[in-house]
Amino acid sequence: MSTEPSSSRDLPGTIIAAAFILLGAVFWWDTTDMSDPDSYVFPRSIIVLMIAFSLLLILRNLAFGGGRPRSADEGSWPRRIGLVAVMLLGALAMPLVGFLPAGVAVFLAILALAQYDPWTTHRRIVFPLVGVAIVVGFYVLFSEALLVPLPVGSLFD
Amino acid sequence: MLPGIEYFAAALTPFNVALALGGVAAGTIVGSLPGLTATMAVAVLVPLTFAMEPSSALILMGAIYTGAIYGGAYAAVLLNTPGTPSAIATTFDGYPMAKRGDGDLAITAACLASVVGGLVGAFALLLLAPPLAEVALAFGPVEYFWLALFGLSLIAALSEGSLLKGLIGGCFGLLLATIGVAEISADVRFTFGSRTLLGGIEVVSALIGLYCVPVLIDMVATPDRHLQVAATPRGFRLPEALAAAWRGKVNLLRSSIIGTLVGILPGAGGSIAGLVAYSEARRASKHPERFGKGEIDGVQATESANNATVGGGFIPTLVLGIPGTPPDAVILGALLVQGIRTGPNLFSEQGSIVYTFIYGLVLATVLMLPAGLVIGRYAYRFIVTVPKALLVPTVAFMTVIGSYAIRNSISDVVLMIILGVMGWVLGRFGFAASPIVLGLILGAIAEQGFVQGWTIGAAVGDLPGMFFGRPISLAIIALTLLSLLYPLLRGRIFGRRGAAGGEGANVD
Repeated sequence: MSTEPSSSRDLPGTIIAAAFILLGAVFWWDTTDMSDPDSYVFPRSIIVLMIAFSLLLILRNLAFGGGRPRSADEGSWPRRIGLVAVMLLGALAMPLVGFLPAGVAVFLAILALAQYDPWTTHRRIVFPLVGVAIVVGFYVLFSEALLVPLPVGSLFD
Repeated sequence: MLPGIEYFAAALTPFNVALALGGVAAGTIVGSLPGLTATMAVAVLVPLTFAMEPSSALILMGAIYTGAIYGGAYAAVLLNTPGTPSAIATTFDGYPMAKRGDGDLAITAACLASVVGGLVGAFALLLLAPPLAEVALAFGPVEYFWLALFGLSLIAALSEGSLLKGLIGGCFGLLLATIGVAEISADVRFTFGSRTLLGGIEVVSALIGLYCVPVLIDMVATPDRHLQVAATPRGFRLPEALAAAWRGKVNLLRSSIIGTLVGILPGAGGSIAGLVAYSEARRASKHPERFGKGEIDGVQATESANNATVGGGFIPTLVLGIPGTPPDAVILGALLVQGIRTGPNLFSEQGSIVYTFIYGLVLATVLMLPAGLVIGRYAYRFIVTVPKALLVPTVAFMTVIGSYAIRNSISDVVLMIILGVMGWVLGRFGFAASPIVLGLILGAIAEQGFVQGWTIGAAVGDLPGMFFGRPISLAIIALTLLSLLYPLLRGRIFGRRGAAGGEGANVD
């Protein structure tokens, strides 16, 4: 197994810690609009702690290094990005086209992304049918049995 | 003799037995779906109970509740996603067990532990309800604050290599918990003009995102199998689970008692019970270093504690009319519809209903063993045998519909996905998701306790006395310090013994 040298400075960790310091500063700035101490005492205490721990992490990384062995970037990036994009687009499309059509589209798109084996005729027919059955099954369970008002889609109103 | 034993036969009517079995099975299935909490399972089925006898209605609701709490373990073990928030700590060791091929053992162990915890909670309700209800009244805001900090001390155990990164993650989670309208002052905080964030970050959707989306992102990236599969079928692996339960009997009993006591505290609930029991199990273990890497004691501790909250939570609900856990609040509402007046006299005035219900709860808990084992086996077989091309979109779709259903909000789904991506990125660089989740879950309790304690302390002019002068607070502070410092002390003690006693004293 390949590992990074022990003298690694954990650059990503340092960058993330700096981002948390920035986030803390932005949150602190937001508390300046609050007039009631009950609103800001607790978050400010947490912000101070978060910034202090982040500074300590940065100092530790700069002084002693802090990288730990990280697995290599294995796996397919296009599929990773595709999964997140499909889920986000699907969620945003649900109020427009309705939960059921968007759900089926999301399922079929992710099915294509997650398929590594060859697309045999059997798989081409059975997998999408199973997918549609699963989405419809959950749709009926939630909308009819559990009475969750799933979006019907404003395009079809 | 057990109190109200004459009502035991009433609980054993075929109708009540069928309700208990059906309720446990339905609850287990609902609880196993991420996003469908025990509260939702009970709430959805409450209208069914209005036409029933009060005791039968209570038995059905208790059975659904207890089944749902156990069902949360399936997704926790097999998908690294707590089916219900009570199963958060089950992911810590359950998922590593499943990854190495012991998912079936983890599920059977979770079932046994849930039965033990459920029985301890139910018998506490039967035997000790009135005196234990007093415990709930002894907890003020400051005690809740310290209890939340005790839960946060688990960060030290869950930081996976870097305590500083765990602490930063915990603070980030606590900050996330403050987004939205403040509970005490009603100020709008950290929404930056977004209407979406006004309602705050929904905890269950955040849990689904932080735990499940990173698993999906990694599953889709490689053709490898999701979980290791044994070459030959190994059945329920009940003898192994029983042996582990017997070895961990002290852990099981301690966790069940913790679960019962935490369940009694209004608003605390199964997630905190599981976390506190997990923390204690790790502290008391001879092998704390194995926790988080697939230690069966961790699964047993969490699952026994969260199921013990069922019986524990009914104690203040029935004796004081104060719901101990969120599902208890729904059940309390149903009790009022049935015309049952809760209070200290409930056990004497309406003993037939209460004792029939408690024995029904015991019955449902016992029936959870066969029902849970069978359903668990099917869940396990489904997850390990279904092709990855179908598993990934199924789980992804469940995360979407589950996070939507909590508040009927697409914004929650989008936030769930964004938090999931953040969790994945942070996880790659050593910032584990669990400390963030701990902060998010415990943030509201910690803040409310802190601000209320501060206000009362300032009003009486004794802030130090308010926070450090109350016996229960001091006991929780001592436990927190012990939990944080024990690994260091233990290392020193064993180090000395090792030096004095040579190789024989080494710990693995």
